[in-house]
Amino acid sequence: MSRGRAGEPLHVVTVCGVGMGSSLILRMTAEKALAELGVPARVEATDVSSAKSLRPDVILGQGMHTSEFAGAAPIVLAVSNFVDAEALKRDLEGPLRDKGWLE
Amino acid sequence: MSPYLHVRVGVDVPGWQEAIRAACTPLLTAGVVEPRYVDACIDMVRRHGPYAVLAPGIALPHARPEDGVHRVGVSVAVLSFPVEFGHPENDPVDVVIAFGSPDAEQHIDLLAALAGGLSTGLADRLRAASDATEATKLIEEVIEDV
Repeated sequence: MSRGRAGEPLHVVTVCGVGMGSSLILRMTAEKALAELGVPARVEATDVSSAKSLRPDVILGQGMHTSEFAGAAPIVLAVSNFVDAEALKRDLEGPLRDKGWLE
Repeated sequence: MSPYLHVRVGVDVPGWQEAIRAACTPLLTAGVVEPRYVDACIDMVRRHGPYAVLAPGIALPHARPEDGVHRVGVSVAVLSFPVEFGHPENDPVDVVIAFGSPDAEQHIDLLAALAGGLSTGLADRLRAASDATEATKLIEEVIEDV
């Protein structure tokens, strides 16, 4: 069983400038990637300014945004293609394993 | 009410701001959004960077519901020549999908359907479409259940 910090589903936040377009599409892609990895997760889309205060386990977004989030979550990952679940799966696997959230 | 949809192909623009304007204009003409919404879409990219370029060649410009949106609508402009948005990986862009939503909920099914289409090659199918009628059909197939 893979799980986040408190034994709860992973709290994943996807970010974009507005929080209701690109981030929403990335949320759908992330949900698919995490489901295929078998990692229970709650994925939330938000704007850049709200993301930090949510203190999530994982922050996903464009590199131009994730650079603002260094240290704001255990995993901060820059994603360039928001509709490619396969690529996101590959990029998430390593960091999730490192944190013990994926066996 | 089903979302307003407009699709154009062979759109000629010199740069990213004109590309956003070209994609937004049908929304404006149809009364889906107010003129200030178009400026807000451009301003978002200026302020937050070209994050709206969400995959190689594909931009999804939009602003907030409070920037003047009356109903859910999407307008697609397939460009004749790709333009640079300044995105480090996904430039240049030739498929511009502008949308607006009057709140944070009403557009979710539409975007989910579009995301599904885009993850299975919708942008390439649009690029190959010979005219607006064909391109419109391609989008309609993807969002038919919305």
